[in-house]
Amino acid sequence: MKTALIAICVAVLGFSAQTQEIRLGDAQPVHRAHVELLSSAAEVKAGEPQMVELRFRVEDGFHINSHTPKDELLIPTAIRFNTGSVVKVVDEAFPKGSTFRLPVGDGETLDVYQGEFRVEVKVVAPKGSSTLVGVLKYQACDNAVCYPPKTLPVVVAVTGN
Amino acid sequence: MLLIAGVTLVVMAGTHNLRHRQMEMQKAQQGDVQLTPASSSSTSADPSDDPAAKLLLGKAAPSFTLVDLDGKKVSLADYKGHAVVLNFWATYCGPCKLEMPWFQDLQNKYKDKGLVVLGLDQDDGMAVKEVAAASKRVGVTYPILMPDDKVSKSYQLSDYIPETFYVDKSGKIVEQTIGAHSKNELEADVQKAIASGGL
Repeated sequence: MKTALIAICVAVLGFSAQTQEIRLGDAQPVHRAHVELLSSAAEVKAGEPQMVELRFRVEDGFHINSHTPKDELLIPTAIRFNTGSVVKVVDEAFPKGSTFRLPVGDGETLDVYQGEFRVEVKVVAPKGSSTLVGVLKYQACDNAVCYPPKTLPVVVAVTGN
Repeated sequence: MLLIAGVTLVVMAGTHNLRHRQMEMQKAQQGDVQLTPASSSSTSADPSDDPAAKLLLGKAAPSFTLVDLDGKKVSLADYKGHAVVLNFWATYCGPCKLEMPWFQDLQNKYKDKGLVVLGLDQDDGMAVKEVAAASKRVGVTYPILMPDDKVSKSYQLSDYIPETFYVDKSGKIVEQTIGAHSKNELEADVQKAIASGGL
């Protein structure tokens, strides 16, 4: 009987410990960035200006303003690179946006990125391994609501050959 | 005996934790539903349809004092006895700027019935003159109030806008909506606020 009780106690304590493990820390709020970076690495010719393509993907059902939104009040998608990096960025080119019409009232025509979009960045990288570091700034909406401006870290391993 | 009491306590604690976890998961799932984008080309996927999005419905509108574009203090209490529309918006929000001229029209149309529209800006760190320029461009003349985190918290705002609260004459929230709606829907909600809470 005593052995059985101890066995039950150990089992219950084990279950409880598992539960405690899950509860560690506060419940995290649901956070959605709406944009992800698909590129993680690039190989370039060392010491010469080379084009690196950064691929991003906007979550389905959402859009972000293009680099050149039609309305000056809208926040354009932009990218900023760390100036101290050994990978020098000499130029960047954003793609054209696509037309999106808000399905409210007469609607407003916006210039946006949806799905995948690619930013072309011209870099000069040293020989060997280095990292291109920066942030993408964007502001996402869906058909009816908008989210505050956000930033997405851009970290890409660059190998100069 | 002591062992049995101990086991009972542990089981109770475990059950409590499990229940708490299930509630948290439920909340997270509700949050997820709120954030699900409108997938069709209509406004049918209305985030307001989620009951979790109407947390303040039927409750007294939290009081506040904010500053308008001229630096003048404006309190909700100033409009006691009026139907009040509290529209949370931001300059970067396209759907907000579609709704705002309609709120202006409704303000004009129902002014004699005591309707007051207040636009509560949610831009982070934007200068007053920029907010003023944006609201002028959108074509609204009703009071625009500068942001304060305390108000956003007391109204339990999500991180998306527009969000609108329709307050009746007694100060009770009779409708709460998230996302842009048609002008007819806005008018119906305004009429509800005007008709309710009469003294």
